[in-house]
Amino acid sequence: MEKAIKRSKFKMSTQDAIWGYVFLSPWILGMIFFTAGPIIASLILSFCDWDLITLPKLVGFGNFMKMFTDARFLNSMFNTFYYTVFSVPLGIIGSVMVALLMNQKWRTVRLLRTIYYLPSVTAGVASAIIWMWLLNPDFGLINYGLSLLGIKGPMWMADEVWSKPAIIIMSLWGVGGNMIIYLAGLQGIPRQLYEAADIDGAGMFDKFRYVTLPMLTPVIFFNLIMSIVASFQVFTQVYVMTGGQGGPADSTLVMVLYIYQQAFKFHNMGYASAIAWVLFIIILVFTLLQFKMSGGWVHYEGELKK
Amino acid sequence: MAKKSVGFFESQKIQAGISSWILYLIAWAGALIFVIPLVWMITTSLKAPDQIFTNPPRWIPYSQLYLTYETKILARNDGKIKITVDEDGTKRIDLGGYSHVIPAIAELQVKKNMRVVKGDVLATLPSKGRVSIVEKADKTKVISVTDRGRLIKEFNISQDTKAVVKDGDTVTMGDKLADVMPQWSNYAKAWAPKALDETFTRYLMNTLIITITGIIGVLLSSTFVAYGFARFKFPYRDQLFLLMISTMMIPAQVTMIPTFFLFKSLGWIDTFAPLIVPTFFGGGAFNIFLMRQFLMTVPTELDEAAKIDGCNYLQIFWIILVPLVKPAMATTAIFGFVYNWNDFMNPLIYLNSTSNYTLALGLQTFTTMYGTNYDLMMAASTIVLLPILMIFFFGQRFFIEGVATSGLKG
Repeated sequence: MEKAIKRSKFKMSTQDAIWGYVFLSPWILGMIFFTAGPIIASLILSFCDWDLITLPKLVGFGNFMKMFTDARFLNSMFNTFYYTVFSVPLGIIGSVMVALLMNQKWRTVRLLRTIYYLPSVTAGVASAIIWMWLLNPDFGLINYGLSLLGIKGPMWMADEVWSKPAIIIMSLWGVGGNMIIYLAGLQGIPRQLYEAADIDGAGMFDKFRYVTLPMLTPVIFFNLIMSIVASFQVFTQVYVMTGGQGGPADSTLVMVLYIYQQAFKFHNMGYASAIAWVLFIIILVFTLLQFKMSGGWVHYEGELKK
Repeated sequence: MAKKSVGFFESQKIQAGISSWILYLIAWAGALIFVIPLVWMITTSLKAPDQIFTNPPRWIPYSQLYLTYETKILARNDGKIKITVDEDGTKRIDLGGYSHVIPAIAELQVKKNMRVVKGDVLATLPSKGRVSIVEKADKTKVISVTDRGRLIKEFNISQDTKAVVKDGDTVTMGDKLADVMPQWSNYAKAWAPKALDETFTRYLMNTLIITITGIIGVLLSSTFVAYGFARFKFPYRDQLFLLMISTMMIPAQVTMIPTFFLFKSLGWIDTFAPLIVPTFFGGGAFNIFLMRQFLMTVPTELDEAAKIDGCNYLQIFWIILVPLVKPAMATTAIFGFVYNWNDFMNPLIYLNSTSNYTLALGLQTFTTMYGTNYDLMMAASTIVLLPILMIFFFGQRFFIEGVATSGLKG
């Protein structure tokens, strides 16, 4: 009798487990065919020469060695870092500031939130084209605005010094997407914390420094990782604004654009895979590094309450 | 307007009142800067070509057209004059290697073999003329100003331009000839560009097919998989979940080349299959995550009651849970719509023939053909953005809710 119950229980849980795998099966198949399989294949390819037509030829570390002497690759890496170093911190500061503003109880705050969020849904080819026009050296609005301040605007996308700042400025137009996430974070901060701070006689900036900012750090941490991952993969804006070239003079040639060019323009599939892996490893190292360092500045609610 | 502030700004009342007003102004100033690019896109899309390249920029696409032209032709070089007359009566003055074309209507102020210096008046044009308006087959008009039957100046005006002069009117320099209205015809021109094989109708249809089937795939498979993660206990479930979350970190470029080869071997290049089929296999880690978070909030009592009633898991999933998670599905659908609509890299890699292009790809091609026609480029951009802006306005709450339910609060 006891045995029978046990068996049926066992049977039930096995059945449950089978059903679990049944429901997971689309993802597991997708994982095998579209993620795990291709990752392994691309790792192997990164040690090969391959033009998509003839069989891949093993070249050992050749592709990776080539990168050290490939000026265009090194330049693309520099450009990607340049973009990340400026666009990520500026984007985080910008979106936190907008979120703080949007956390007020104004009658028009819903409309304001909509306006700030709007550009992030238009991301893509169309917004890149709008910015080409805004950044037009002679007739663009940006340089007109600068001229009102008495500044002669640069040539932006036609000047290799200013093309990267141009794309960074453009990326800041999309801070509304992260703003919404910070807003959710801000609204999750318990009011008691502010009340306690009031009793302690804390001013506006004290409250920001000792309550808001620490309580927001988990969200900032999450966003920091996602933003870095995204900024290392910047592609569409650059492709559209430079006609796929990464110009002028390769000044906006970012890593993903270079991978695209190597793979689909020059058909160096092995070399392109190797660069993709380098990109992957960079992103991985950055992510792990952030997790390592997060203990120092990310506060979780549990800790704060102590 | 600023009723009460919350959060860290809330402090001593008077101080808070003032700072709240300042913040309010800052918020609106910022919002203005954020919305200007879109306003600029729309106003540019309605401008006539000659209204685009102006400094200072012109905000309103309405303008007026005046009779203006150079009445004096000036010498550009020093030297001795040579005069030649073409068959059609056009005079030409050759001067120090430079040839000035002088319309027949002009009155010469110089004689053959005369010596002039740079800036001297060579000929003058009448500053008065008669108007004649000719309407062409495509509804565009030509306003010609003539003097004694000879043409002084011709203005091509589009169908959105209203002439304020009549056939036979006499006009003098500086008179208003026409009101240039918002150029709605730019949209027609951008929709069916002459320089491209395809119209935006085709791009729109392609994008809709890809987007809608893609969303169906994402919704079905992400909810299905999320149900597995949320409701079943099985070995390695948590490890698999963690594995799924970590795949979000993998840049698409790593899997791009082998995946391209896989689809190429299947003969799927230049079809929609590479853009659609993968959505039926999980629908993306983020979406599974989102749906799972939502399913976790649905009480299990409902499942158990259904089980007692004899439902199997597929029935529980389809009859009980799917209707309950519809709000979350709406969020996923909207994010999926935005993603597919804006996606550029995948169509760029997989679609070759222009008849298969999506809106994003078609718009990019449009840009390469109409590089400086910002009126048409902005009209095309507006066409591409309009549906997404509408989706956003109607589905606003789903965007916000989506962020809240995914549990990003830390």
